[in-house]
Amino acid sequence: MSTPHLVGVSRGAYMRSLVFFLAPAVLIYSAFSIYPLLNTILNSFYDKQDNGTFIYNGIANFTTLLTDPTWSAPFWNAFWNNCKFFFIHMLVQNPIGLLLAALLSLPVLRFRSAYRTLIFMPTMLSVVVIGFSWQLILSPLWGIAKMLLQGVGLGFLFGPWLGQESTALLTISLISVWQFVGIPMILIYTALLAIPDELIDAATVDGLNQFQAFFYVKLPLIWPTIGLVSVLTFVNNFNAFDLVYAMKGALAGPNFSADIMGTLFYRVFFGNQLQNGDVSMGATIATMMLIIILCGVMVYLFLVQRRLQRYSF
Amino acid sequence: MAEVRIEKLHKSYGQVDVLKDINLIVEDGSFVVLVGPSGCGKSTLLRSVAGLEPVTGGDISIDGRNVSDLAPAKREIAMVFQSYALYPHMNVENNMAFGLKFAKTPKAEIAARVAEASRILQLDALLKRRPKELSGGQRQRVAIGRAIVRKPKVFLFDEPLSNLDAALRVNTRVEIANLHKLLKATILYVTHDQVEAMTLADKIVVMNQGRIEQAGKPLELYYKPANLFVARFIGSPAMNILPAKISKDGKSVLVQGTKLPLGLKPQNGEMIQFGFRPEHSAFAKSGIPVTVNLIERLGEVGYAHCRTVDGLSVLVEIKGDPKLPVGTKAFVTPANQHMHIFDENGDRLNA
Amino acid sequence: MRRPASAFIVHGILGLYTLLALFPIILVIMNSFKAKRAIFNTPLQPPMPWNFDLIGYTKVFGDSALASYYLNSIVVTVGTIFFTLLFGAMAAWALTEYKFRWNTALGIFLAIGIMVPIRLGSVSIIQMVADLNLINTLTALVLVYVAQNLPLAVFILSEFIQQIPKDLREAGRCDGLSEYNIFFFIILPLLRPAMATVAVFTMIPVWNDLWFPLLLAPTGGKQTITLGVQQFLGQYITDWNAVLAALSTAIVPVLILYVIFSRQLIRGLTSGAVK
Repeated sequence: MSTPHLVGVSRGAYMRSLVFFLAPAVLIYSAFSIYPLLNTILNSFYDKQDNGTFIYNGIANFTTLLTDPTWSAPFWNAFWNNCKFFFIHMLVQNPIGLLLAALLSLPVLRFRSAYRTLIFMPTMLSVVVIGFSWQLILSPLWGIAKMLLQGVGLGFLFGPWLGQESTALLTISLISVWQFVGIPMILIYTALLAIPDELIDAATVDGLNQFQAFFYVKLPLIWPTIGLVSVLTFVNNFNAFDLVYAMKGALAGPNFSADIMGTLFYRVFFGNQLQNGDVSMGATIATMMLIIILCGVMVYLFLVQRRLQRYSF
Repeated sequence: MAEVRIEKLHKSYGQVDVLKDINLIVEDGSFVVLVGPSGCGKSTLLRSVAGLEPVTGGDISIDGRNVSDLAPAKREIAMVFQSYALYPHMNVENNMAFGLKFAKTPKAEIAARVAEASRILQLDALLKRRPKELSGGQRQRVAIGRAIVRKPKVFLFDEPLSNLDAALRVNTRVEIANLHKLLKATILYVTHDQVEAMTLADKIVVMNQGRIEQAGKPLELYYKPANLFVARFIGSPAMNILPAKISKDGKSVLVQGTKLPLGLKPQNGEMIQFGFRPEHSAFAKSGIPVTVNLIERLGEVGYAHCRTVDGLSVLVEIKGDPKLPVGTKAFVTPANQHMHIFDENGDRLNA
Repeated sequence: MRRPASAFIVHGILGLYTLLALFPIILVIMNSFKAKRAIFNTPLQPPMPWNFDLIGYTKVFGDSALASYYLNSIVVTVGTIFFTLLFGAMAAWALTEYKFRWNTALGIFLAIGIMVPIRLGSVSIIQMVADLNLINTLTALVLVYVAQNLPLAVFILSEFIQQIPKDLREAGRCDGLSEYNIFFFIILPLLRPAMATVAVFTMIPVWNDLWFPLLLAPTGGKQTITLGVQQFLGQYITDWNAVLAALSTAIVPVLILYVIFSRQLIRGLTSGAVK
């Protein structure tokens, strides 16, 4: 008996080859990606007792997290910090990325690939390197940042930004922006390249100068990419951990002012000098993060997919 | 409408010369077609007139005004692009009005011009649609409409029919010809298709490797090609070209062992290229000896592919259904008044 | 169309930002070669014969196990790339080529992984790895990273496979090749450019990752270089020479790899984003 798709190949042989090709990927992916995720969500509905067993707890963990002051205070603090983190990226990283992409996509530009390669370089480095390098640069001990600011007459602005509650999160956010600007830049740049040259020629013949051509012709056509960049920023920001941990450790000080949900999760799950590890609450925090991220993705899919029809070529 | 004058135009990219010493006049209200093989520089020349390409030397004047240093928008031209270049995020109406808005044309004027262009091109039903909802032919009309509303001094067309299928191409060609008559427009048109050139043009400009090979009326180029390149480019199927020896007194030519009479002045050289079109030759009792290889019958007209004794290919037009099986030995006589002689440089020798 | 003034502004902005992007890196590498006093007194001066000092590097390579950590990172990265590409290509092939009932569903199932962050399942991953007795092994890291990168790899490779002309596979079938042969001898070689792109694209995040090494292999000599440098920095925090040297040794290999592969990397990033 032949398979509907391949003549002369028995059904058994067909199935065997399918399994051969698909099994390794599906198994590893399900085991280490999907299953843990589902398990974590499951875990958040349980409470680990001191004797090691789990009892079903309903959504009690969630209510505790969101309303019980011992838990909710750090949680909401972390959540708001994530939001601030996200806003700073949206306000600084993406417009700069857009500007750089627009400049890089100009029809005539010398050193184009050099600029592109070099500006993308920070994204290649590990957070450890970046976190520490910037710590050194901003350190009052070494004084480089202070010296440079004084050089342009802004010396009065300098302070131990990383060590101050009011500026720690902002500083770390800007460093994160510094690291990741390359990504929106490259994505938007590629989208700009996809716009046919003739369209810009037509705009030139229609009397638009470079700026007008950018705002009225190019920008509308790259809205889908800008939407994509925004949702990627959202997912990355709410999932963030590395930089804060590298620069401030699990306690995300000073006084938890740089604490985000990622560091909160790490701290709660593994414990630290202040508290014991709590598996269930850790799982709960992780699930909350998942829910928040999924909400963001849903919003994106809903908003952008509707508009996507309008802008295809 | 206006006259376009191109003088000593020159363009090079570094060491490479893309346009060499172009001199051309596009008379007011005429339809001039730039034609030539890929890479000959016709699109570059068009874009230079538009102001989309900088030039290295020479002048371009439109309506008596030197526009060589002006931006495209200030040259009062309009361009129809090969891929139409319609703004995908705007509907048809806004596509046409877009440029006018930036020229700060009053709203009433914009509406009037769009309405008129729409009427001429029958776009009324399509005004609110977006480009991706239109067929190729409809998009083409919108692109032309966008050009019309600008009320330009010159229309520039860059291979507008290349992206259309064969049947649509014929229809649109006729529409463009009608448009020309209606608007009495000055048109500079680029194509690689010599049939389009022959049917649409008041004047054809054949280009090759950055130079103008010949410019003139279509039939002029057909009956009196100035050189080998034009002779082979214009006319389909292409002219037969055979090496030959011309007599010192210019009265006869020796082609493939056969002597044919000529009426030229006394000559300096001896080796020439001898040309005649398939439609200007016939099988006869005497002439160039050939062997018939293949007959292509296209209905009433057909072509006999033959080979000379030296193995060179010769095409002869045949009418009806003559008995010419493969391998027949025959003689081909070119018509007396339609023989072309080209010297060793490829230039035409005239009587 | 000639406006030299605006070219100045354009290069000004781009140049300024490039400087901003490179400045910290150059500063760190420069100063890692200087003596301590020179670091503090003249930080902006490049290493000169009179302030050149390799003391930081001797500490880095002498005192710690950083060299072995390099090896760990290499093993993990290469292992991840190898298995991601192999299993990813196989799955992409099956999904693209064969029509079977759960084809679309499976495709969506795998695609979920692109958007959803796998880190959130860390709680369970740690438990699983512990149960399997794989804590502090490189195997655990490879497994997790492969799972993390498979969805995107499958997606990108599927796109490429779709571009391979159907004729080639059909010629193979006519020639009597089994499905396995077709995959390994016809499809796989043709996928090389795509695989190079995916490899470069996967390599850097895996090399630079801090989270999973921290969670799964924090001690016992199985640290990756990223984690290792983090720990080293924590230990030598006041020793500026050592610290700068450590940072430089972490930076330079990545930079070199990046400069070599930058074109493939950018291509991979953009094809992955067109979801």
